[in-house]
Amino acid sequence: MSTQLALPLGLRDDATFDNFFLSTNQHCVSALRACASGEGYPFIYIWGQQGSGRSHLLQAACHLATQKNRSSVYVPLGTPELTPHILQNLEQMNLVCVDDIDAIAQDKQWEEALFHFYNNMRESGQTLLIAGRNPPQRLGLNLPDLVSRLAWGVVFQLHPLSDEDKLAALKLRADQRGFALTDEVGQFLLRRCPRDMIQLFALLETLDRASLQAQRKLTIPFVKTVLGV
Amino acid sequence: MSTSISLWQQCADHLQSELTPQEFNTWIRPLQVELKNESICLLAPNRFVREWVKKKYFDEIIELFKRFTQGNPPKLFLEEGTTIVSPVMVATQERPKAQSSQNFGKASDLIPDYQNNINALFNFDNFVEGKSNQLARAAATQVAQNPGVSYNPLFIYGGVGLGKTHLMHAIGNLILAERPNAKVVYLHSERFVADMVRALQSNMINEFKRFYRSVDALLIDDIQFFAGKERSQEEFFHTFNALLEGQRQVILTSDRYPKEINGVEERLKSRFGWGLTVAIEPPELETRVAILMSKAEKVGIVIPYEVAFFIAKRVRSNVRELEGALKRVMANAHFTGKEITTEFVREALKDLLALQDKLVTIENIQKTTAEYFKVKVSDLLSKRRSRSVARPRQVAMALAKELTNHSLPEIGEAFGGRDHTTVIHACRLIKELQQTNANMQEDWANLLRLLSN
Repeated sequence: MSTQLALPLGLRDDATFDNFFLSTNQHCVSALRACASGEGYPFIYIWGQQGSGRSHLLQAACHLATQKNRSSVYVPLGTPELTPHILQNLEQMNLVCVDDIDAIAQDKQWEEALFHFYNNMRESGQTLLIAGRNPPQRLGLNLPDLVSRLAWGVVFQLHPLSDEDKLAALKLRADQRGFALTDEVGQFLLRRCPRDMIQLFALLETLDRASLQAQRKLTIPFVKTVLGV
Repeated sequence: MSTSISLWQQCADHLQSELTPQEFNTWIRPLQVELKNESICLLAPNRFVREWVKKKYFDEIIELFKRFTQGNPPKLFLEEGTTIVSPVMVATQERPKAQSSQNFGKASDLIPDYQNNINALFNFDNFVEGKSNQLARAAATQVAQNPGVSYNPLFIYGGVGLGKTHLMHAIGNLILAERPNAKVVYLHSERFVADMVRALQSNMINEFKRFYRSVDALLIDDIQFFAGKERSQEEFFHTFNALLEGQRQVILTSDRYPKEINGVEERLKSRFGWGLTVAIEPPELETRVAILMSKAEKVGIVIPYEVAFFIAKRVRSNVRELEGALKRVMANAHFTGKEITTEFVREALKDLLALQDKLVTIENIQKTTAEYFKVKVSDLLSKRRSRSVARPRQVAMALAKELTNHSLPEIGEAFGGRDHTTVIHACRLIKELQQTNANMQEDWANLLRLLSN
């Protein structure tokens, strides 16, 4: 049992809606904001490739729900120690955000538990957000009952960012962390480093820490030294 | 007693001021308080919450209890559970006597108050009828008008999202409209199982039995989830018998024909077939269009016929996906303020349509049909004309015409270079056989389901 206690069911502080670079995803974000406030659709499914911001948005919904004094919980199914028990009675919460549904595809117990949980949430009138890498029909789920329910609500695809948008997203993140990222340095990162947003944000964090420590501005030579490229 | 509750309140208030709102909401707020003699029991909704609270907050809670009671705290426990005994069976309260001359309705004399779970939004008026569901609908209406008398049990089966649950609620609503005092209970089979487990844990199994055996109409959804749950099946078996003997109505749904439900006892399966068993098939094109128009109208949005036709032609699998597609279109229209046209829909449902088109190809149809009839794809494309190969080939051709936009010559070409008149012949023949041959009807429906899910 003790290993299960290490579950990170908590939220990243900086995963908020204000911190999310909208690009072409503004409809999805508006719908999620409404959901978190208890005013939108009772169920939304969002999907997009890794780094498209699924987890960020689900956590942002939990943060907003908290601000609105609504109870919420974030359940990342990719956490290996989790068992379907986690879903028991969670329909008492106003908002439940289930992330990484791909992780449980073809697991009979999980699929059934999620199906029943969906029904319970619907019955209790609370809000459920589920996210995965693929649209419901392509998750490889075995339980058709679950697939049809996921496809019943509003489904949003999170579109990947263009290079231009990635740069803007990096600058926004840097700005919120209180340092400046020039176009030049940003473009350098995009050209030379892995280009998915998760890794780019991680790099940005490394750079931020390094520049604080070394008391130096983020210039290309400095970035080269830190990242060893 | 009230002091104990206010003590917990005091404690919770303190924790709220100390923890981040997120922590408080996730871990402390879901806890329920139960008073046992002189002690207080905190109930966590599940094992995870209990373990987490135990490790992270329990010591502090004990400290707070000590502090707020000047060192004389009540005993404190932390367990997994809920104070809600059963979502269906709640409180006990006498209800007015039912006015009924038949057996049906008598159960409502002096019964405890309960939650019927019938959704008022699902009724017969907003159930869109088509060829695929008219038999089920007619049977449901009959049962609702003469509960316990006409067909008992009524067993409705069919694929996901075709309206089984809708019909069930419609029956419940009609029974209640005609006999407001009737005790009608709808629940998902999982809820029956969960309720039973809870009743066993809290020593209330007799109340549980009494409750379910006292209803006028019991509506249990998705009975296939009883599979492998022997204790629940046993209990349900007795409930079922008691209800039927007392001429109370039982209505069941499942995703398949009673005999095909795996993991359910034979004696139960055979009883499922005692009354009337009706199927709901996937809706045909016209019905899908009608469903879309009706759903849109219900929320006050007019969508042009050709738009409904465009969506219905492409989303074939089930009503839920049809509704999902419509919701997306309406959400997009709401956000963009644009008019709903075919072009707009094509854009809004781009990924979904790509998915459907990708799924239903001639190759896919050949593969699925061959697997279904246990022949080889190469047989379907070969010159062989024995019945065991020719029939599956004809079915596959008819499916290709129904499900893809390929021309008849293209379909003929894809089946080993056959003439388009051969395709026409196959389509006619299969259509005829569906009318006259029950097996063909079943095979066709199964294949449609396989290909569009």
